[in-house]
Amino acid sequence: MNTAFMKAIELISSMDAELLNILKVTAEMSLMSSIIALLLGLPIGIWLGASKFPGRSLLIVTNRTLMGMPPVVCGLLFYMLFSGVGPFRHMKLLFTVDIMVIAQVVLITPIVVGTMEAYVAGIVSSVKETAKGLGLSGFKTFCLLCNECLYQIISSYLLAFARSIAEVGAVSMVGGAIAWKTNVMTTAIMQYTNRGNFSLGIALGIILLTISLIVNIVISLLQRRFSR
Amino acid sequence: MKKIISIMLVLLMVFALAACAKSEPASSAEPEKKEEAEAAVVVDTKILKEADDKMLNTYSVLAVNPEAPFVDADGKAVADVYVNTAGAEALIQWLLTEEALKMAGEYGFAEYGEYLFYVKEDAPEYAGEIAEATEETKVIRLSTTTSVKDSGLLDYLLPEFEAKYGYTVEVQSAGTGKAIAAAKAGNADLILVHSKSQEEEFVTAGFARVVPGFEAERISFIYNYFVLCGPSADPAGVEAAASVLDAFAAIADGKHKFISRGDGSGTHTKELSLWSEQLGISKEAESFAGYTDWYISANAGMGACLVMAEEMEAYILTDKATFLTFVANNGVME
Repeated sequence: MNTAFMKAIELISSMDAELLNILKVTAEMSLMSSIIALLLGLPIGIWLGASKFPGRSLLIVTNRTLMGMPPVVCGLLFYMLFSGVGPFRHMKLLFTVDIMVIAQVVLITPIVVGTMEAYVAGIVSSVKETAKGLGLSGFKTFCLLCNECLYQIISSYLLAFARSIAEVGAVSMVGGAIAWKTNVMTTAIMQYTNRGNFSLGIALGIILLTISLIVNIVISLLQRRFSR
Repeated sequence: MKKIISIMLVLLMVFALAACAKSEPASSAEPEKKEEAEAAVVVDTKILKEADDKMLNTYSVLAVNPEAPFVDADGKAVADVYVNTAGAEALIQWLLTEEALKMAGEYGFAEYGEYLFYVKEDAPEYAGEIAEATEETKVIRLSTTTSVKDSGLLDYLLPEFEAKYGYTVEVQSAGTGKAIAAAKAGNADLILVHSKSQEEEFVTAGFARVVPGFEAERISFIYNYFVLCGPSADPAGVEAAASVLDAFAAIADGKHKFISRGDGSGTHTKELSLWSEQLGISKEAESFAGYTDWYISANAGMGACLVMAEEMEAYILTDKATFLTFVANNGVME
């Protein structure tokens, strides 16, 4: 029917070793970074949304600013920190999947925090009232709150995952798009575009979207089951 | 129900993307597509000016000096920058063995019917020992230009080297300017670039070192030619121009569209040197602010710029290897 679709199907069916490697690195990077970001962002987000203390709104504003951090800036920052002349050069992390994950976590965590905070702030008063009525302890109130948020937690995770798999600016900078090592779907698409091979770029884009679609369907099914 | 709608929406997006992919190259090449059935010529852009001494494109390889005056982002000196010296030496030595030079010289003839790179006659040949990889020296970071990578030369040469000596070469490709900047930031063990002035600056600043078995820091070993390409109709009459400089002057005089890489690459540096001095075109964006009606600074890779030139029927300076691969793939770079 058209070249890009044919190419996408051709690429998948050929099981091209380089494509498989790109898929593996992409999966490794986006799963790791989104899970770490979720683990870091959840407690902070719930705490920010549920508690009241001086300076809370300052933290929220800071977090919202970080949500809008341009990926390229984040990439540049980590590139400079871990570069051969940067302060963390001895860790030898530049151009590895690890540094890509770290940069991604910094980008994504504020998004998890922000979405959780906004949701929790909306439900916290009614949950607290219920807990008071039932005479629950502080910890149990927290558990009840988490349970109430389950749907939102999964949504936040999906958002984090989507952001992480679609990210290109930061990962191309700290990862260097090195073949067989740090080349992910998005950087590969960028490479093909730079070489003028648009249809192969779109073919990879179709594969990327299809993976996203599958992940989304699976998690949405889980989400429905859990939150019923 | 809602989920079904959302899935439908995503599918719709996929289809829209696919449709874009179809219409993007097709819309511009529609009339040509029909011709394709009769003749296999899709690319209208052709070589108009070549093999001029001013268009010589020499590639050199330089090993990064671990004792170089590295500075961090604040300009403070950094002493202990890690550079894989043994690995860089092995790769440079191998690139200059008779075997590798022969491979480089023959590259492309089978696919394109033309040699893409020529071996420099005065390239210093290496016949000595080459160290095998050890656990510490295994990974070699090569910072190079897009033209070497996109022409497929490295994919052709490096597996041979890796299989023989056990190294892994990590290739980062960017324009020459960026490739050199990466080395200066301590992120490369050697560079393979094509911009004499920038290379000499790199050597003078103390960033390069002499590899055992060679005399100079800067080892030029292969070359090809830049070519001036443009629409086959050639409205500026470039083909008939006496020299490349005249050709560039004709393009500027007639305000014919010209695509510049605009990314500080070797090709960009070469192009800047070919405009007449009165125009005053330089790397700075202000220098061509008055010429935006015909001078297009693309800030993109060679392949993307070639696609642009084809679509806009513009003139463009490119290395021959990339152009031949571009034409051989009917306007697509593989």
